[in-house]
Amino acid sequence: MRVMVLVKASKDSEAGIMPSEDLLTRMGAYNEELVKAGVMLAGEGLHPSSKGIRMRFSGSERAITDGPFAETKELVCGFWLWQVKSFEEAVEWLKRAPFEDGAEIELRRVFEMEDFGEAMTPELREQEERLQAQAAKLAGKPA
Amino acid sequence: MRFMVMVKATKDSEAGAPPTRELVDAMMAYNEELVKAGIMKGGDGLQPSSKGVRVQFDGARRAVVDGPFAETKELVAGYWLWECASLDEAIAWVKRCPNPMPGPSEIEIRPVVDIADFGEMVSPEAAATWDRLKNEVGQS
Repeated sequence: MRVMVLVKASKDSEAGIMPSEDLLTRMGAYNEELVKAGVMLAGEGLHPSSKGIRMRFSGSERAITDGPFAETKELVCGFWLWQVKSFEEAVEWLKRAPFEDGAEIELRRVFEMEDFGEAMTPELREQEERLQAQAAKLAGKPA
Repeated sequence: MRFMVMVKATKDSEAGAPPTRELVDAMMAYNEELVKAGIMKGGDGLQPSSKGVRVQFDGARRAVVDGPFAETKELVAGYWLWECASLDEAIAWVKRCPNPMPGPSEIEIRPVVDIADFGEMVSPEAAATWDRLKNEVGQS
């Protein structure tokens, strides 16, 4: 199963303050462990919300608001995508992450095709698999 | 440039309401366009926050708090990872997205950090480690 790990923002991350060399080193070591364990599928840091936008959808209307956005601790500043055997395994991995005091990290289950049950018709499943293969090919990865 | 495009949650997504056949078809078609344009690098739907947790860090203490979480419109219900020439291009693509929810909704676009963005602040060793890790997960 896959999980998404959402790292919530802080005043520092929103101010574009770089993590310390020490934290970067510890995070690098942690990421290495995740890769070696075959858990790491993806991971990225996000620039502060001042560099982002939000688009509101309402019927056919689209309204854009520039960042920064106020609710700092609800903002995402980074994420991982992990492959794990169980949700509990993901929780255990997350507890070992070198985050600092006050950090709050959200762990969410990713929808897989099996989760959609009968709504995922054979035609849709085939289309989805074809899309994923196409995307992987374009990205130069094995499907 | 890469962007994380986040579909924010609504009462409907948090309630686990399945999408209509119409929306599924429209999203499939949209995703096809993103793939064909070479923009799509990833994307998933997230299960409601009732199926998730938050882990809080305080010294050596770890507190695990079960979902659901209250601030619905700040939660992420789904995401894409895109490669676009500019924020403007990402915005143009988001404008073309079918309504992701039955009612009003919001999509957030955030630029993704590239190690090159840090320039001299990152040592050559750290940059090399970053590149190697990215290659190992086939992400470069």
